[in-house]
Amino acid sequence: MAATEGFKRHGAHTYLAHFEASEKEVLLNLVEQIIELLAERVDHGHEDPLAALVGITSHDSPPEDEVLHRLLPNAYADDVDAAEFRRYTESTLRGKKQAHAMSIRMMLKASPEGDVELDHKGANDWLGGLNDIRLALGVRLKIENNNYEHLELLSPDDPLRGVYAVYSWLGWLQETLLDALMDEVSE
Amino acid sequence: MAKLADALEEELKAIFSGDTPWVTIVWDDPVSLQNYVTYVFMELFGYSKAKATELMLKVHNEGKAIVSTGSREEMEHDVARLHEYGLWATLQRGDQI
Repeated sequence: MAATEGFKRHGAHTYLAHFEASEKEVLLNLVEQIIELLAERVDHGHEDPLAALVGITSHDSPPEDEVLHRLLPNAYADDVDAAEFRRYTESTLRGKKQAHAMSIRMMLKASPEGDVELDHKGANDWLGGLNDIRLALGVRLKIENNNYEHLELLSPDDPLRGVYAVYSWLGWLQETLLDALMDEVSE
Repeated sequence: MAKLADALEEELKAIFSGDTPWVTIVWDDPVSLQNYVTYVFMELFGYSKAKATELMLKVHNEGKAIVSTGSREEMEHDVARLHEYGLWATLQRGDQI
């Protein structure tokens, strides 16, 4: 999966990357899963349509799903404060995360040749979206305390091995975009 | 001396107005890349690369770091923005760290 060279800066605020068809397919598949996962956390049992309108959710407890919990973490150590904050902010956070993922999807779908061109805002969307995918995969891969030993030792036919390869590739892709962005900042 | 008096006055004002500063804390997570964490600090807080890198290393080496200080509302805003970018952040009163 190393056909692409990752992101390169082009001019002042443009970042370019080319994706092979297989890479595009993997990325699209992942962002769609993130979008779906976030959409699963719908607000049910809303008695108050006005509350829904201003973004107050019916959720005041963290998601039970471990991945969703990592994507939508508590803002306070205290449970009561955390619940209150979540009720007023979670739906906005979900919307922003979906927007990042949708931005990646849109850019990938816009070019049949697999050429992606990002501006500064687009680059930030991609960074955030790629990080969410890595966080999700990281939970499934049980990545804790920079310990990758259990992943290096996976047998070749273990499906997690492929997941780990994708996780590593996404990290590399994110790093190339960061290098391109930081290069600009340091000038 | 003038400077000390100013600082003392600020402190006393904070104590009597109940206006205790709040802090935003970012916790270490093994997934987010170091460069990514640095970049997010620069983007969200306008920190220099040197300051952002220093904070990132503090998070990495000590498990957490205070990345901003202010009113409770301001810290809630900062935590929400850090969550948007997937960093593991919480806020709390500055005198309860």
